[in-house]
Amino acid sequence: MKKIFLLIITFAVVLGCRKEESTYDGISINELYSDFMMLQNFSIDKDTVNFGSGENAVFSAVFNKPVNWSIEVTGQLSKAKKILSGQSKRIDASNGTWDGSTTIFPMFKAEACVAQLFIEGVSDTFVVATAIKSIKVNSGLVIADFENGFNSAWTRYVQSGANMDWNIKTDSLCPQGAKYLKMAGTVNWDYLIGLIDFPATAYGGGNTLPLSPNPDNVYFNCLIYGVPNTNESIVLFQFKEDENGDGVYNANTDDQYDYQITVNWEGWKLVSVKYSDIISLNNGQPTTPNGNSIHNPDKIAKISMLDLANPSNGFASCKIDYLIFTPTPLVP
Amino acid sequence: MITSRNTGVLLALLLILHTAAAQQRRVVDFTGGARSLVTNNNLSVSDTIPDTTTVDRNSGGYALIDLGVNIRPNSTTELMGMFRIRNGYGGFWGAGVTFDVRQLWLKGIIGNVVRYQVGDLNLKQTPFTLYNHHADRFDSLPDVFALQSDIVDYEKFYTGNTWRQQGVNVDFGLTFAKVIKELNFTGYMTRMNATDFISVPDRLLAGFSAVIVQQEGLDVGFHKSTVFNVQGTAAIDESFTNDINSITTQYKFEIHDFSFDLNGEIGNSQYSNSLFPDLAPLEDYFLYGNGKMSWKKKHLSINLGYLNVGPDYRSIGAQSKDIDYAASPNFYNLYTNEQINRPLDLVDVMGNENLYLTSVSDKLMTFNPAINNVTPYGLATFNRLGAFAGASYFHPKGISLTATRYQLREIRGQGTYALKHFTKTDVTARLRLDQWINWEKKVNIHASYSLQTTDRKGITSLENVRLTSNRIQAGAEVELVKNLDLMVGVVHLKATGNEFLAERDDYTTIDFFENIQYNLLQNTNGAGIRYRFDNNTYLSALYQVSRYNDRTKSVPEYTIDQFSLIFNMTF
Repeated sequence: MKKIFLLIITFAVVLGCRKEESTYDGISINELYSDFMMLQNFSIDKDTVNFGSGENAVFSAVFNKPVNWSIEVTGQLSKAKKILSGQSKRIDASNGTWDGSTTIFPMFKAEACVAQLFIEGVSDTFVVATAIKSIKVNSGLVIADFENGFNSAWTRYVQSGANMDWNIKTDSLCPQGAKYLKMAGTVNWDYLIGLIDFPATAYGGGNTLPLSPNPDNVYFNCLIYGVPNTNESIVLFQFKEDENGDGVYNANTDDQYDYQITVNWEGWKLVSVKYSDIISLNNGQPTTPNGNSIHNPDKIAKISMLDLANPSNGFASCKIDYLIFTPTPLVP
Repeated sequence: MITSRNTGVLLALLLILHTAAAQQRRVVDFTGGARSLVTNNNLSVSDTIPDTTTVDRNSGGYALIDLGVNIRPNSTTELMGMFRIRNGYGGFWGAGVTFDVRQLWLKGIIGNVVRYQVGDLNLKQTPFTLYNHHADRFDSLPDVFALQSDIVDYEKFYTGNTWRQQGVNVDFGLTFAKVIKELNFTGYMTRMNATDFISVPDRLLAGFSAVIVQQEGLDVGFHKSTVFNVQGTAAIDESFTNDINSITTQYKFEIHDFSFDLNGEIGNSQYSNSLFPDLAPLEDYFLYGNGKMSWKKKHLSINLGYLNVGPDYRSIGAQSKDIDYAASPNFYNLYTNEQINRPLDLVDVMGNENLYLTSVSDKLMTFNPAINNVTPYGLATFNRLGAFAGASYFHPKGISLTATRYQLREIRGQGTYALKHFTKTDVTARLRLDQWINWEKKVNIHASYSLQTTDRKGITSLENVRLTSNRIQAGAEVELVKNLDLMVGVVHLKATGNEFLAERDDYTTIDFFENIQYNLLQNTNGAGIRYRFDNNTYLSALYQVSRYNDRTKSVPEYTIDQFSLIFNMTF
């Protein structure tokens, strides 16, 4: 036993001779607390970007130390903004790639853009210019973008209330393309202000929408505008499935999934939801659907969009655009 | 809050109690405690703009009773259930009353060989595997402060260096006729956190110790401690492991009037988390040795030790801190007109139970360099190499002197190749004056001094670190009349200089260094009286004044006056 004790002591002495470390933990303090310097100027790799054909624009810059930075790209015509940000010593393809998407609506158009680089703690800003030759294309099934007015296959119903304005508009507020739908009015006897039914037959296929059968791979997206200083609107989407393939949605035997959005913000906002996350509602409360209770996006026969508001509140208003199904959450 | 679950457990226990009491062979004991605490506080803030937002006077308190039932239904089984009824002052007719199960365990012996315990456990292995170092607790506190510190110990189940866990523990010993004398085995498995079935899996802490005693005074042990996720208990499978293996040895012997105690421990750790797939597992080792020589005749002992803990050594069980500096003190949390967070003062650190944890934490906890920058995680502090020494003298007539000194350095630089060097010196003196002068009333005088330094001479001046922290404590307890004590004490802390405090992510990787400037002065003065009904019961009135003065002006100075009335009893 004493030999074991001595063996352990010997082993310990050997271990005690720890090798000198040739590195250090964390980022260099010397760099972190030194004065800021730009080692490579802020630049963009393309004067003109063709996002529509899959091109990206890559910003680059190199600093003498890790900094918190943000790049704000502004469309000169649309005033759309894209913001990239990070903490690093270098901006390159790994953290400074712009795919043509938008952070603050409206979405970019084919237009000239200016990109400004802001660095935390540095008063100077750095600017480069570029131009969009063609805008980013979002792959998916567009249900409505209102660019061509109301589709004749859609069914539209608008209450005859006061100050009703349930029309397609063209103005500078449009987030995508040139047109959007305004939904406004006072209906003091009912929650419903207006609705549109989008039947699957309006989209060229059969009686159901041409979507993936996997509800985890189907996202429903739309852009909604909350009007400042106006009563809340509620936008309710009803996804009605034709599960037995008889060509019609039957409320007693088929599933209906409901996605209710209370518009309690101001300005445009992207709303995205995975189809498998949408539940059935009855008067706003979760309920069991009447069909097989399986989300079947490829069996959606009709989508109803209801514009609602509390009748006791009075006038309500919101705007909507770009209803689109995508395989992943929309990056507009 | 009285819940149906608690009520059910209570009824079940009362049923068992009734059944047990009905049979004379069975033994039932009652245990527990009672406490009443009333405080009246006054906050004064010294700011450029007078603080008119914070309510400066604050009073409150509570009364509680812990009632435990210890039942031994037979000679091999013992079970314990303890309930707590707590009533915050100001709560009447049930409002503010809470009813909790404070502890619940069952233990026994299987076949006269294997001891087991299930439920609440107090666990400890070695200082590098599973150990509550109490690294920031102030030793030898004057009683005028120690009363509150003792309440923290009771509330958090701090018994020595154990952590309170919930699970199962078994141990047994085997004796042998030849080669070795005995083998002692202890194993445990506890649950650190429960799954939420989505993203948080069940996380367990398990381990064992096997110690071979070859002869009286000579043993070798193998210890293993591991923290791991139970796969499949959450939708998101996160693989997490922290394995520690260590070997300990101890050799005690005597030569003439001198007794020697040599002990050491070596081991390694491995730490990985699948949430950080790009990062390699952290692996490192440690080495610890200590030799102590005692000269009983002269009541003198000295020790000399060596410490070498690798920069990537990670041990959840040994590197958890008992104090959580990120916790809310629940007492003047915000102050000034801007309602900023109030920095913790010495009274918080010494006796605010809201800051202290009961069981180990799976995150590397932050520490306070002003209080302990040398060994913030105790002996298990990673990235430390060096020596330590100590000496102590105890005189039978009531004098004790102890001194310890640590001389350590980093093994790997932090944000630079330059290394920090640390020193820590602690000196404590106690005098039982009554024994010295043969007075019949107790007079206890004590003082201690602690000095910590951290130095780094950087490759550039930007990297320089120089932090000095001085702490002085002094106090006395004088028995005025039988069982009535006058208590006075002072704790003074001064920290000056700078330190780059590392901000770490959940994998303990450093994200950032914040260069913190220190010019901090904290004073706490206290006085009080205590009447001891017996060794387990006292009534005490305390008055404490605590001042926090950050002279860098990063936060305004404040002072808290506190009057407390404490009745405490254990039975």
